Amino acid sequence: MTIDATMVGRSYTAAETYQVGREKIREFAAAIGDPNPAYTGDDAVAPPTFAFVLGSRALEQLLGDPELGLRLDRIVHGAQKFSWTRPIKAGDEIAATATITTVRKAGDVEVIMYETALTSVAGEPIATSTSTISHNRADA
Amino acid sequence: MSTVEAGLELPALTVTLRRDDLVRYAGASGDFNPIHWSDRMAAALGLPGVIAHGMLTMASAARVVTDWIEDPADLVEYGVRFTKPVVVPDDDQGVTVTFSATVDKVADGLAEIDITALAGEQKVLGRARATVRVR
Repeated sequence: MTIDATMVGRSYTAAETYQVGREKIREFAAAIGDPNPAYTGDDAVAPPTFAFVLGSRALEQLLGDPELGLRLDRIVHGAQKFSWTRPIKAGDEIAATATITTVRKAGDVEVIMYETALTSVAGEPIATSTSTISHNRADA
Repeated sequence: MSTVEAGLELPALTVTLRRDDLVRYAGASGDFNPIHWSDRMAAALGLPGVIAHGMLTMASAARVVTDWIEDPADLVEYGVRFTKPVVVPDDDQGVTVTFSATVDKVADGLAEIDITALAGEQKVLGRARATVRVR
């Protein structure tokens, strides 16, 4: 069980679309300590980094690929970037697909980059998330 | 925001993170990686202690920008590198992180903003940069 450059291009789609709810947005905004009024009410938009939560459904699929053999408790987040076409808002139903773009190895540490596309169910692009994670396979 | 130009400093923001904030973020985000709540598991990965979710630090840093722009929808791009872990002690004080930001460049209706995040004297984010629409 290891990961190498032949796994670049593998794609993982969240098993179900994500239904964005007003109360979930409120809960997330509270968890990041952000009282911005844009994140509450009937027309609430989600805090920008909520995009990562939507992408995490696809990440779960990636982490679950038995051929990669990755373990959540051995992962540290190294870098993160987002670009948004429009804010995520209450009422959205969003699909997420994560694609491995780069794999680098340094001893026991594997540095994996993956890109997650968030789209509406109709295929409208909403946001793209680019993540770099380090996975350490060494026995502690 | 009528006179946005390079060199403009945005109001700084100071945030205190305690263990309960990490628990709350874990629940809200669904990120239950034990390095964010278990000293034992953090140590097993060679970390100095329980560390904040990178995404929580990133979300806090974004507030420097979204508190300043009138509409968070004007944030079009935002990226960071998590260069140093933000260690959150198991005490009442927690860790204090201060975020500051400066407009680096304004062109074509977009402003590029550099963000600095300091936990004590330590920079915890690298290449933290946001692009926002300006009018």
